[in-house]
Amino acid sequence: MITRVEVVARRGPGGRTVLPVVRGSGQLAVRRTGPASVHLVATAFGPLGGDDAEIRLVVEEGATLAVRTVAAAVALPDRGGDRPSAQRVVAEVAGSLDLRPEPTVVAARAHHRAGLTATLAPGAVLTATEQVLLGRTGEEPGRWTGTTRVVVDGRPLLHTTVGLGPGAPAWLPPVAPRAYASTVHVGQAAGVLTVDDAVRLPLEDGWVATAWGAELHRVVRAVEAVA
Amino acid sequence: MTAALLTLADARLPAGGHTHSGGVEQAIAAGLVHDPSSLAGFLLRRLQTAGRVAAGLAAAACRGGDPAALDAEADARTPSPALRAASRQQGRGLVRVGRRAWPSPLWDALPAAPHHPVALGAAATAGGLTPRDAAGAAAYLSVSGPATAAQRLLAMDPLTVAAVTARLAPGIDAVADGALRDGLPADADPLLDLLAEVHAARRDRFFAS
Repeated sequence: MITRVEVVARRGPGGRTVLPVVRGSGQLAVRRTGPASVHLVATAFGPLGGDDAEIRLVVEEGATLAVRTVAAAVALPDRGGDRPSAQRVVAEVAGSLDLRPEPTVVAARAHHRAGLTATLAPGAVLTATEQVLLGRTGEEPGRWTGTTRVVVDGRPLLHTTVGLGPGAPAWLPPVAPRAYASTVHVGQAAGVLTVDDAVRLPLEDGWVATAWGAELHRVVRAVEAVA
Repeated sequence: MTAALLTLADARLPAGGHTHSGGVEQAIAAGLVHDPSSLAGFLLRRLQTAGRVAAGLAAAACRGGDPAALDAEADARTPSPALRAASRQQGRGLVRVGRRAWPSPLWDALPAAPHHPVALGAAATAGGLTPRDAAGAAAYLSVSGPATAAQRLLAMDPLTVAAVTARLAPGIDAVADGALRDGLPADADPLLDLLAEVHAARRDRFFAS
Protein backbone atom coordinates (compact mmCIF):
# COMPACT_ATOMS: atom_id res chain seq x y z
CA MET A 1 0.00 0.00 0.00
CA ILE A 2 1.19 3.51 -0.79
CA THR A 3 0.86 6.06 1.99
CA ARG A 4 1.44 9.75 1.52
CA VAL A 5 1.23 12.40 4.23
CA GLU A 6 1.87 16.09 3.85
CA VAL A 7 1.74 18.77 6.50
CA VAL A 8 2.76 22.38 6.03
CA ALA A 9 3.17 24.72 9.00
CA ARG A 10 3.20 28.43 8.29
CA ARG A 11 3.53 31.54 10.41
CA GLY A 12 0.10 33.12 10.41
CA PRO A 13 -1.38 36.41 11.58
CA GLY A 14 -0.01 37.48 14.96
CA GLY A 15 2.84 35.00 14.74
CA ARG A 16 0.65 31.98 15.44
CA THR A 17 1.27 28.86 13.42
CA VAL A 18 -1.37 27.81 10.93
CA LEU A 19 -1.46 24.52 9.05
CA PRO A 20 -2.58 25.31 5.49
CA VAL A 21 -1.88 21.73 4.33
CA VAL A 22 -2.83 18.67 6.36
CA ARG A 23 -3.22 15.69 4.10
CA GLY A 24 -3.01 11.92 4.52
CA SER A 25 -3.74 8.95 2.31
CA GLY A 26 -3.19 5.21 2.43
CA GLN A 27 -2.47 3.84 5.88
CA LEU A 28 -2.14 7.13 7.72
CA ALA A 29 -4.73 9.75 8.50
CA VAL A 30 -3.68 13.08 9.95
CA ARG A 31 -5.61 14.69 12.82
CA ARG A 32 -5.08 18.23 14.02
CA THR A 33 -4.64 17.91 17.78
CA GLY A 34 -3.55 21.44 18.57
CA PRO A 35 -2.91 24.79 16.93
CA ALA A 36 0.51 23.56 15.80
CA SER A 37 0.35 19.83 16.33
CA VAL A 38 -0.88 16.81 14.42
CA HIS A 39 -1.23 13.13 15.24
CA LEU A 40 -0.78 10.46 12.60
CA VAL A 41 -3.40 7.77 12.98
CA ALA A 42 -2.90 4.32 11.46
CA THR A 43 -6.02 3.38 9.54
CA ALA A 44 -4.87 -0.15 8.76
CA PHE A 45 -2.75 -2.92 10.23
CA GLY A 46 0.92 -2.73 9.54
CA PRO A 47 2.93 -1.57 7.72
CA LEU A 48 3.33 -4.83 5.84
CA GLY A 49 6.39 -5.78 3.82
CA GLY A 50 6.10 -4.00 0.48
CA ASP A 51 4.24 -1.01 1.91
CA ASP A 52 5.71 2.39 1.18
CA ALA A 53 5.00 5.49 3.21
CA GLU A 54 6.33 9.01 2.74
CA ILE A 55 5.64 11.76 5.22
CA ARG A 56 6.45 15.21 3.98
CA LEU A 57 6.72 17.93 6.59
CA VAL A 58 7.34 21.59 5.82
CA VAL A 59 7.84 24.04 8.66
CA GLU A 60 8.25 27.54 7.36
CA GLU A 61 10.19 30.28 9.09
CA GLY A 62 8.53 31.44 12.30
CA ALA A 63 6.25 28.38 12.47
CA THR A 64 6.31 25.40 14.81
CA LEU A 65 5.02 21.90 14.27
CA ALA A 66 4.71 18.92 16.60
CA VAL A 67 4.10 15.52 15.02
CA ARG A 68 3.00 12.52 17.10
CA THR A 69 1.45 9.15 16.44
CA VAL A 70 -1.37 7.65 18.46
CA ALA A 71 0.04 4.14 18.86
CA ALA A 72 3.06 1.97 18.22
CA ALA A 73 3.41 0.76 14.64
CA VAL A 74 3.87 -2.98 14.22
CA ALA A 75 5.81 -3.74 11.05
CA LEU A 76 4.74 -7.12 9.69
CA PRO A 77 6.43 -9.34 7.10
CA ASP A 78 5.59 -9.33 3.43
CA ARG A 79 2.83 -11.87 2.87
CA GLY A 80 4.09 -13.03 -0.52
CA GLY A 81 7.85 -12.45 -0.41
CA ASP A 82 10.50 -10.75 1.62
CA ARG A 83 10.13 -7.13 0.65
CA PRO A 84 10.80 -4.63 3.44
CA SER A 85 8.28 -2.02 4.48
CA ALA A 86 9.52 1.55 4.13
CA GLN A 87 8.69 4.81 5.81
CA ARG A 88 10.48 8.01 4.87
CA VAL A 89 10.08 11.29 6.65
CA VAL A 90 11.20 14.16 4.46
CA ALA A 91 11.28 17.42 6.37
CA GLU A 92 12.12 20.95 5.29
CA VAL A 93 12.48 23.10 8.35
CA ALA A 94 13.03 26.83 8.66
CA GLY A 95 11.01 27.08 11.89
CA SER A 96 10.80 24.44 14.59
CA LEU A 97 9.87 20.76 14.15
CA ASP A 98 9.27 18.35 17.00
CA LEU A 99 8.81 14.80 15.71
CA ARG A 100 8.16 12.15 18.37
CA PRO A 101 6.37 9.09 17.06
CA GLU A 102 5.45 6.13 19.24
CA PRO A 103 7.73 3.07 18.93
CA THR A 104 8.07 0.86 15.89
CA VAL A 105 7.82 -2.84 16.71
CA VAL A 106 9.27 -5.07 14.01
CA ALA A 107 7.68 -8.50 14.02
CA ALA A 108 9.63 -11.68 13.33
CA ARG A 109 10.66 -12.06 9.65
CA ALA A 110 9.70 -8.46 8.89
CA HIS A 111 12.21 -5.86 7.68
CA HIS A 112 11.34 -2.22 8.16
CA ARG A 113 13.32 0.61 6.61
CA ALA A 114 12.94 3.97 8.28
CA GLY A 115 14.35 7.17 6.86
CA LEU A 116 14.57 10.73 8.09
CA THR A 117 15.89 13.36 5.74
CA ALA A 118 15.78 16.78 7.33
CA THR A 119 16.88 19.87 5.44
CA LEU A 120 17.27 22.78 7.83
CA ALA A 121 17.66 26.46 7.19
CA PRO A 122 20.09 28.37 9.43
CA GLY A 123 18.50 28.84 12.85
CA ALA A 124 15.92 26.07 12.39
CA VAL A 125 15.13 23.85 15.36
CA LEU A 126 14.67 20.10 15.11
CA THR A 127 13.98 17.34 17.60
CA ALA A 128 13.36 13.90 16.15
CA THR A 129 13.07 10.69 18.13
CA GLU A 130 13.08 7.06 17.12
CA GLN A 131 12.15 4.06 19.27
CA VAL A 132 12.48 0.54 17.97
CA LEU A 133 11.68 -2.88 19.40
CA LEU A 134 12.61 -6.02 17.48
CA GLY A 135 9.96 -8.69 17.84
CA ARG A 136 6.75 -8.80 19.83
CA THR A 137 6.71 -10.64 23.14
CA GLY A 138 8.05 -14.16 22.84
CA GLU A 139 8.86 -13.69 19.18
CA GLU A 140 12.11 -13.72 17.23
CA PRO A 141 13.46 -10.24 16.44
CA GLY A 142 12.61 -8.65 13.11
CA ARG A 143 15.01 -6.44 11.18
CA TRP A 144 15.15 -2.66 11.16
CA THR A 145 17.31 -0.32 9.10
CA GLY A 146 17.20 3.38 9.93
CA THR A 147 18.91 6.14 8.00
CA THR A 148 19.08 9.69 9.29
CA ARG A 149 20.42 12.57 7.24
CA VAL A 150 20.33 16.10 8.57
CA VAL A 151 21.58 18.95 6.41
CA VAL A 152 21.90 22.46 7.81
CA ASP A 153 22.37 25.41 5.49
CA GLY A 154 23.48 23.06 2.70
CA ARG A 155 26.07 21.29 4.83
CA PRO A 156 25.65 17.70 6.05
CA LEU A 157 25.43 17.65 9.83
CA LEU A 158 24.63 14.00 10.49
CA HIS A 159 24.29 11.00 8.23
CA THR A 160 24.06 7.56 9.76
CA THR A 161 22.51 4.22 8.94
CA VAL A 162 21.88 1.85 11.82
CA GLY A 163 21.00 -1.75 11.07
CA LEU A 164 19.41 -3.96 13.71
CA GLY A 165 18.23 -7.53 13.70
CA PRO A 166 19.22 -10.84 12.12
CA GLY A 167 21.15 -10.26 8.91
CA ALA A 168 22.10 -6.68 9.73
CA PRO A 169 25.86 -6.52 9.15
CA ALA A 170 26.91 -5.12 12.52
CA TRP A 171 24.17 -6.68 14.68
CA LEU A 172 26.46 -9.25 16.20
CA PRO A 173 26.80 -10.85 19.61
CA PRO A 174 27.64 -9.92 22.27
CA VAL A 175 25.98 -6.60 21.42
CA ALA A 176 22.85 -7.39 19.42
CA PRO A 177 20.13 -5.38 21.15
CA ARG A 178 16.40 -5.89 20.71
CA ALA A 179 15.57 -2.35 21.73
CA TYR A 180 17.02 0.88 20.37
CA ALA A 181 16.22 4.54 20.80
CA SER A 182 17.75 7.65 19.30
CA THR A 183 17.10 11.37 19.45
CA VAL A 184 18.66 14.01 17.26
CA HIS A 185 18.40 17.65 18.19
CA VAL A 186 19.47 20.81 16.41
CA GLY A 187 19.08 24.20 18.07
CA GLN A 188 21.00 23.90 21.30
CA ALA A 189 24.47 22.45 21.75
CA ALA A 190 25.40 19.77 24.29
CA GLY A 191 28.63 17.88 24.88
CA VAL A 192 29.62 14.23 25.13
CA LEU A 193 27.88 12.13 27.74
CA THR A 194 28.39 8.39 28.21
CA VAL A 195 26.61 5.88 30.43
CA ASP A 196 26.15 2.12 30.13
CA ASP A 197 24.77 1.37 26.66
CA ALA A 198 23.94 4.99 25.89
CA VAL A 199 25.91 7.87 24.44
CA ARG A 200 25.31 11.51 23.55
CA LEU A 201 27.51 13.02 20.86
CA PRO A 202 27.77 16.71 20.09
CA LEU A 203 26.79 18.15 16.74
CA GLU A 204 27.32 21.72 15.71
CA ASP A 205 24.55 23.54 17.61
CA GLY A 206 22.97 20.22 18.57
CA TRP A 207 23.50 16.62 19.61
CA VAL A 208 22.52 13.04 18.88
CA ALA A 209 21.76 10.58 21.67
CA THR A 210 21.50 6.82 21.27
CA ALA A 211 20.70 3.97 23.65
CA TRP A 212 20.24 0.25 23.23
CA GLY A 213 19.43 -2.78 25.32
CA ALA A 214 17.04 -5.64 25.92
CA GLU A 215 13.91 -3.78 26.98
CA LEU A 216 12.42 -0.76 25.27
CA HIS A 217 11.19 1.05 28.38
CA ARG A 218 14.68 0.97 29.89
CA VAL A 219 16.27 2.06 26.63
CA VAL A 220 13.85 4.97 26.30
CA ARG A 221 14.68 6.01 29.86
CA ALA A 222 18.39 5.74 29.06
CA VAL A 223 18.16 7.89 25.95
CA GLU A 224 16.15 10.48 27.86
CA ALA A 225 18.84 10.45 30.58
CA VAL A 226 21.54 11.42 28.09
CA ALA A 227 19.34 13.68 25.96
CA MET B 1 47.06 -3.51 -8.95
CA THR B 2 50.44 -1.95 -8.52
CA ALA B 3 52.98 -2.10 -5.70
CA ALA B 4 51.75 1.35 -4.64
CA LEU B 5 48.69 -0.37 -3.16
CA LEU B 6 50.87 -2.68 -1.08
CA THR B 7 52.73 0.37 0.20
CA LEU B 8 49.51 2.20 1.01
CA ALA B 9 48.08 -0.70 3.01
CA ASP B 10 51.39 -1.58 4.68
CA ALA B 11 51.37 -1.17 8.46
CA ARG B 12 54.97 0.07 8.17
CA LEU B 13 53.92 3.14 6.17
CA PRO B 14 54.66 5.80 8.77
CA ALA B 15 51.26 7.48 8.69
CA GLY B 16 50.61 7.09 12.40
CA GLY B 17 48.05 4.29 12.17
CA HIS B 18 49.95 2.16 14.69
CA THR B 19 49.00 4.53 17.53
CA HIS B 20 45.29 3.78 17.00
CA SER B 21 43.48 0.60 18.02
CA GLY B 22 40.20 1.32 16.23
CA GLY B 23 38.24 0.83 19.44
CA VAL B 24 39.88 -2.50 20.30
CA GLU B 25 41.60 -1.21 23.43
CA GLN B 26 38.27 -0.13 24.93
CA ALA B 27 36.48 -3.22 23.66
CA ILE B 28 39.04 -5.28 25.58
CA ALA B 29 38.56 -3.13 28.69
CA ALA B 30 34.78 -3.63 28.39
CA GLY B 31 35.23 -7.39 28.11
CA LEU B 32 33.86 -7.50 24.57
CA VAL B 33 37.11 -8.75 23.02
CA HIS B 34 39.03 -11.45 24.86
CA ASP B 35 39.91 -14.24 22.45
CA PRO B 36 40.30 -14.90 18.71
CA SER B 37 36.60 -15.48 18.14
CA SER B 38 35.44 -12.33 19.93
CA LEU B 39 38.17 -10.41 18.10
CA ALA B 40 36.91 -11.76 14.77
CA GLY B 41 33.39 -10.62 15.67
CA PHE B 42 34.59 -7.16 16.63
CA LEU B 43 36.63 -6.77 13.44
CA LEU B 44 33.67 -7.88 11.32
CA ARG B 45 31.46 -5.33 13.06
CA ARG B 46 34.04 -2.62 12.42
CA LEU B 47 34.54 -3.65 8.81
CA GLN B 48 30.80 -3.51 8.09
CA THR B 49 30.36 -0.03 9.55
CA ALA B 50 33.46 2.18 9.82
CA GLY B 51 35.22 0.11 7.13
CA ARG B 52 32.31 0.38 4.69
CA VAL B 53 32.03 4.13 5.21
CA ALA B 54 35.79 4.61 4.83
CA ALA B 55 35.84 2.50 1.65
CA GLY B 56 33.03 4.57 0.11
CA LEU B 57 34.70 7.86 0.94
CA ALA B 58 38.14 6.70 -0.22
CA ALA B 59 36.75 5.46 -3.54
CA ALA B 60 34.87 8.72 -4.06
CA ALA B 61 37.95 10.79 -3.23
CA CYS B 62 40.04 8.72 -5.62
CA ARG B 63 37.40 9.16 -8.31
CA GLY B 64 38.01 12.90 -8.11
CA GLY B 65 35.22 13.95 -5.75
CA ASP B 66 35.50 17.36 -4.15
CA PRO B 67 37.73 16.78 -1.08
CA ALA B 68 36.03 19.46 1.01
CA ALA B 69 32.56 18.07 0.30
CA LEU B 70 33.71 14.51 1.04
CA ASP B 71 35.40 15.71 4.22
CA ALA B 72 32.08 17.23 5.32
CA GLU B 73 30.30 13.96 4.49
CA ALA B 74 32.91 12.13 6.59
CA ASP B 75 32.20 14.48 9.50
CA ALA B 76 28.46 13.82 9.20
CA ARG B 77 29.16 10.07 9.33
CA THR B 78 31.50 10.43 12.31
CA PRO B 79 29.57 12.22 15.06
CA SER B 80 31.93 10.93 17.78
CA PRO B 81 34.51 13.66 18.51
CA ALA B 82 37.06 11.01 19.52
CA LEU B 83 36.62 9.16 16.23
CA ARG B 84 36.73 12.40 14.26
CA ALA B 85 40.01 13.32 15.93
CA ALA B 86 41.44 9.84 15.32
CA SER B 87 40.45 9.97 11.65
CA ARG B 88 41.88 13.46 11.13
CA GLN B 89 45.13 12.58 12.93
CA GLN B 90 45.63 9.61 10.65
CA GLY B 91 44.64 11.68 7.64
CA ARG B 92 47.23 14.29 8.49
CA GLY B 93 49.85 11.56 9.00
CA LEU B 94 49.05 10.06 5.63
CA VAL B 95 49.25 13.44 3.88
CA ARG B 96 52.68 13.98 5.41
CA VAL B 97 54.13 10.74 4.11
CA GLY B 98 52.04 10.72 0.92
CA ARG B 99 53.35 14.09 -0.22
CA ARG B 100 56.88 12.71 -0.11
CA ALA B 101 56.04 9.30 -1.51
CA TRP B 102 53.77 10.38 -4.38
CA PRO B 103 54.27 14.06 -5.19
CA SER B 104 51.14 15.54 -6.74
CA PRO B 105 49.20 18.81 -6.80
CA LEU B 106 46.29 16.82 -5.33
CA TRP B 107 47.71 17.12 -1.84
CA ASP B 108 47.29 20.89 -1.86
CA ALA B 109 43.58 20.52 -2.66
CA LEU B 110 42.95 18.66 0.61
CA PRO B 111 41.72 20.30 3.82
CA ALA B 112 44.46 20.86 6.44
CA ALA B 113 43.83 17.68 8.44
CA PRO B 114 41.50 15.68 6.22
CA HIS B 115 39.59 12.61 7.34
CA HIS B 116 41.74 9.54 6.76
CA PRO B 117 39.62 8.04 3.94
CA VAL B 118 39.72 11.34 2.03
CA ALA B 119 43.52 11.41 2.34
CA LEU B 120 43.63 7.74 1.38
CA GLY B 121 41.66 8.42 -1.79
CA ALA B 122 44.03 11.25 -2.71
CA ALA B 123 47.04 9.02 -2.00
CA ALA B 124 45.60 6.32 -4.23
CA THR B 125 45.12 8.78 -7.09
CA ALA B 126 48.59 10.25 -6.59
CA GLY B 127 50.03 6.71 -6.58
CA GLY B 128 48.32 5.78 -9.83
CA LEU B 129 45.75 3.51 -8.20
CA THR B 130 42.04 3.00 -8.90
CA PRO B 131 38.98 3.80 -6.76
CA ARG B 132 38.63 0.03 -6.14
CA ASP B 133 42.20 0.00 -4.83
CA ALA B 134 41.46 2.94 -2.54
CA ALA B 135 38.34 1.22 -1.23
CA GLY B 136 40.23 -2.03 -0.71
CA ALA B 137 42.97 -0.27 1.24
CA ALA B 138 40.43 1.57 3.38
CA ALA B 139 38.48 -1.61 4.14
CA TYR B 140 41.65 -3.56 4.91
CA LEU B 141 43.07 -0.82 7.14
CA SER B 142 39.80 -0.69 9.08
CA VAL B 143 40.62 -4.14 10.48
CA SER B 144 44.37 -4.70 10.11
CA GLY B 145 45.45 -2.02 12.59
CA PRO B 146 42.87 -3.04 15.21
CA ALA B 147 43.90 -6.70 14.81
CA THR B 148 47.52 -5.84 15.54
CA ALA B 149 46.47 -3.71 18.50
CA ALA B 150 44.50 -6.63 19.95
CA GLN B 151 47.49 -8.90 19.48
CA ARG B 152 49.68 -6.53 21.44
CA LEU B 153 47.17 -5.78 24.20
CA LEU B 154 46.10 -9.37 24.79
CA ALA B 155 49.49 -10.91 24.02
CA MET B 156 47.73 -13.11 21.48
CA ASP B 157 49.46 -15.56 19.23
CA PRO B 158 50.49 -13.59 16.10
CA LEU B 159 49.74 -16.55 13.85
CA THR B 160 46.20 -16.76 15.17
CA VAL B 161 45.63 -13.03 14.71
CA ALA B 162 47.06 -13.18 11.19
CA ALA B 163 44.64 -16.01 10.42
CA VAL B 164 41.70 -14.04 11.86
CA THR B 165 42.56 -11.10 9.62
CA ALA B 166 43.18 -13.28 6.56
CA ARG B 167 39.79 -14.97 6.98
CA LEU B 168 38.13 -11.57 6.71
CA ALA B 169 39.45 -11.21 3.14
CA PRO B 170 36.17 -12.11 1.40
CA GLY B 171 34.34 -9.59 3.59
CA ILE B 172 36.96 -6.94 2.89
CA ASP B 173 36.62 -7.55 -0.85
CA ALA B 174 32.84 -7.39 -0.64
CA VAL B 175 32.99 -4.07 1.20
CA ALA B 176 35.47 -2.69 -1.35
CA ASP B 177 33.31 -3.86 -4.28
CA GLY B 178 30.27 -2.31 -2.62
CA ALA B 179 32.07 1.02 -2.34
CA LEU B 180 31.97 1.34 -6.13
CA ARG B 181 28.28 0.57 -6.21
CA ASP B 182 26.50 1.95 -3.19
CA GLY B 183 27.23 5.68 -3.34
CA LEU B 184 28.46 6.92 0.04
CA PRO B 185 27.43 4.41 2.70
CA ALA B 186 26.66 5.71 6.19
CA ASP B 187 26.66 2.52 8.26
CA ALA B 188 27.07 3.42 11.89
CA ASP B 189 27.70 1.47 15.07
CA PRO B 190 26.71 3.38 18.20
CA LEU B 191 28.68 0.82 20.23
CA LEU B 192 31.91 1.95 18.56
CA ASP B 193 30.99 5.58 19.25
CA LEU B 194 30.41 4.82 22.92
CA LEU B 195 33.65 2.83 23.23
CA ALA B 196 35.59 5.65 21.55
CA GLU B 197 34.23 8.32 23.88
CA VAL B 198 34.77 6.26 27.04
CA HIS B 199 38.27 5.50 25.82
CA ALA B 200 39.09 9.14 25.09
CA ALA B 201 38.23 10.06 28.68
CA ARG B 202 40.67 7.52 30.12
CA ARG B 203 44.14 8.47 31.31
CA ASP B 204 45.58 4.96 31.37
CA ARG B 205 45.33 4.12 27.68
CA PHE B 206 48.10 2.89 25.40
CA PHE B 207 46.48 3.85 22.12
CA ALA B 208 45.24 7.22 20.89
CA SER B 209 41.89 5.70 19.96
